[in-house]
Amino acid sequence: MSLLQVRNVSKHFGRLIAVNGVSLDVQPGELRAVIGPNGAGKTTFFNLVSGFFPPTSGSIVFDGVDITRLSEHKRVEMGMARTFQITEIFPELSARENIRVAVEVASGARLKPWLLHAAKQRVAARVDQLLEMGGIAEMGDRLVGELSHGDQRATEIMMSLALNPRLLLLDEPTAGMGDQETYHVTKLIRRLHRDQHLSIVLIEHDMRVIFHLADRIMVLAEGAVLAEGTPDEIAANERVQAAYLGKAA
Amino acid sequence: MSQLILFNVFNGLIVGAFYALMALGLSLILNLSGVINFAHGGFLALGAYIAYTLLPFTGFWGALVIAPVLTAVIGLIIERLLIRPLYGRDPLYSLLLTFGMAYVLEDVTRAIWGAQSVPFQVPGVLTSPLSTQFFFLTGYRIFMVVLVAAAVLGLFFILNRTRLGMRIRAGTLDLETVSTLGVNVRILRNLNFGLGIYLAGLAGVLAAGLLGLEPTIGTSLIMPSFVAIIVGGLGSLPGTLLGGLLIGVASGITTVYFPSATEAVIYVMMGIVLLVRPRGLLGEEGRVG
Amino acid sequence: MSAIRETTVPGVPANPAATLREHGLTLGVWLALLTMPYWMGAVGGYTELASRVVIMGLAAMALNFLLGFTGVLSFGHAAYFGLGAYGTAMTIKYLAPSTPLGLLVGIAAATVAAMVIGFLIRKLRGVYFAMVTIAFGQVFYFITFRWNNVTGGDDGLTGWRRQPLHLGFANVDLLASDKVFYYFALAVFAGCVAVMAFILRSPFGRTLIAVRENERRARFLGIPVEQHIWLSFVISGLFASIAGGLYGLLSNFVDPRALRWDMSGNFVIMAVLGGMRSFWGPLIGAAIFVVLQDFVSSRTENWMSFVGVFFMLVVLFFPRGVMGILKRRSGK
Repeated sequence: MSLLQVRNVSKHFGRLIAVNGVSLDVQPGELRAVIGPNGAGKTTFFNLVSGFFPPTSGSIVFDGVDITRLSEHKRVEMGMARTFQITEIFPELSARENIRVAVEVASGARLKPWLLHAAKQRVAARVDQLLEMGGIAEMGDRLVGELSHGDQRATEIMMSLALNPRLLLLDEPTAGMGDQETYHVTKLIRRLHRDQHLSIVLIEHDMRVIFHLADRIMVLAEGAVLAEGTPDEIAANERVQAAYLGKAA
Repeated sequence: MSQLILFNVFNGLIVGAFYALMALGLSLILNLSGVINFAHGGFLALGAYIAYTLLPFTGFWGALVIAPVLTAVIGLIIERLLIRPLYGRDPLYSLLLTFGMAYVLEDVTRAIWGAQSVPFQVPGVLTSPLSTQFFFLTGYRIFMVVLVAAAVLGLFFILNRTRLGMRIRAGTLDLETVSTLGVNVRILRNLNFGLGIYLAGLAGVLAAGLLGLEPTIGTSLIMPSFVAIIVGGLGSLPGTLLGGLLIGVASGITTVYFPSATEAVIYVMMGIVLLVRPRGLLGEEGRVG
Repeated sequence: MSAIRETTVPGVPANPAATLREHGLTLGVWLALLTMPYWMGAVGGYTELASRVVIMGLAAMALNFLLGFTGVLSFGHAAYFGLGAYGTAMTIKYLAPSTPLGLLVGIAAATVAAMVIGFLIRKLRGVYFAMVTIAFGQVFYFITFRWNNVTGGDDGLTGWRRQPLHLGFANVDLLASDKVFYYFALAVFAGCVAVMAFILRSPFGRTLIAVRENERRARFLGIPVEQHIWLSFVISGLFASIAGGLYGLLSNFVDPRALRWDMSGNFVIMAVLGGMRSFWGPLIGAAIFVVLQDFVSSRTENWMSFVGVFFMLVVLFFPRGVMGILKRRSGK
């Protein structure tokens, strides 16, 4: 059964149609890429899936449950996590504290006035584990607002991972990064996909990253699906080439 | 009985017109610059007192024309010197600043003009009732409604037909884009602030003629202005106008049936609006924060 | 220059030096508070002023729970402060001559109000939230004014006094001396402050700081932000009401000014002046403000202008507050 079934969603902002009848099926363990020229509606699509705002029409089913009108924090509880194009973290806290909040919320402690010693240790261990996984253990105690772009992104991904998601939505994780950082983040995502068997949907512009990671690719243009298929199929698709080359002018 | 209701509704409309006039000025400043001008009442009082000072020299009509302009000029200077430095920061700071300004304005007006109420002479032609049947229709009250209507029309004309007005409206929606289009945002905010203060000054002159003049004249009007904005809709000037009139009429009608609840009813309305439609009657979605 | 800046979460310092500093500050504050009646006179003050510092400090810290730690702009806290004051006063006058009962009723009234108002405004943010809190603050001011046969109206509520405490093992006559009341107020303050600190260091407290830091991210971590803001609002109002109750007890008198917009504004300026991001900041801000106000108002009629100018100067030149400046200096 599909983990995520997006059925014909559209999003209208007044007369502007940002997303137009897009459907998507994500299987457990899949890594899907969503690509397309700027303004194609990719982030809006993510906003619909993650619950930032409701669709004008269409439905979204996650793990068999209709979540179309569900609030974003409930979707997180159900196992969906996302990162943003512009990294959203807690700038005046350390990376450790950033992840700690995520771990505590994920373990159901968000309203708790205290944690028992055993729980405290579990939390701390998990935070350490995630810092290690993200390669940010050394700078874990520095203010995350002062870290490099790549480390901030890694922190954000680790925070999302702390939520024990089944579906991870990554919005342009390598945006604004140089080659070195892109390589590290790509490696991280690949590890998450392979080792944690996470289902991932990825918006990306960097084709090297896409072709390196994706099982299947969906191409959006002007809010609608232009093409869908394996990386090879998409690479060979003339309409896709036209859309990109045409827009690049 | 019906004459009583009519009297109170009309009274309510006048009061509502006041609330609207003041709230429009507040709303202008709030929408474009994100500043809650807590000193708005102080500017209202200042306008009234400046008019009072001018009365012996210019008469009522002259004061009516000049005082709001002078008040607006003071507003322009204050915006330039005190408020402008705070625009990039958390709205907390500009609110605290206008809080402080409110204190200073109240104290200064009291220091200059005294704590007692002073007589504010309105031309006799305006104070006589226009008919014996509708005795409450004094010339002054009609005049006020007419003047507020004229001011509101003037405001909407400026906003819709002049370049400044269009820039203000565009800036309310997206200041960043307006700035990249080459508009000097600093001057825009400054003039917008001046326009808002002009309306406060005008309201002050009118209020003095109706209610008499004493230092706290502004503070009793500022809260209803807040409520008018909240009820009418955040980010919407027509909403603010509507909100002001609504709460004015509501308190007018309440006076007939529950006299002691006259002032409370506007807060009740606010509570209901918040419960049912948090963005206000004509408020735009996404403006709530 | 890549100094490890200490983080601003209470109880979670980034390095041993910061821990030492934090403990040192706490120790210093308590020492000063415990001995205040004895050195207050030397700096031109008096014991009642010391009580006022503690009471306003509590109110400012309560407000800062919401403002500095949850990032929510509330400008109407005088409502809960005043409800606490009137609740206490009216209980003692009309219901039963008991200080603890009075305080409890005051707390209950204010907490219920905070729950209702907090619920009504939970979806608003920023300046609009602030506007509505101001408006609601005024509602209670105006009710107290109007309902004058019960509340005493503009003249205030008189004819009642703080009642002795019957502690079982001893009776404490709170009217015995200013000093006795001061230590009573300090004890209440200590209890409140301990609870607030405890909450801020808890997992729940950390979610509040998360909301302050980045509401969107907090939401997408699974935190129901409206609910948490509501809880913070209620907690903040509750502690403000305790300060209000003490305020009434201090003068054996309460009048509508306890509920007015300027009282709300004062709390905010105290928090900002002392440093919003610091736990003890608002107390320090309150100390400075209360002492200054006392000094100025005894010397000139125009103290309102002074306060107003003071607000403006703090905002324009001192926005980080005392603790903010100290932290910056030590971070280098």
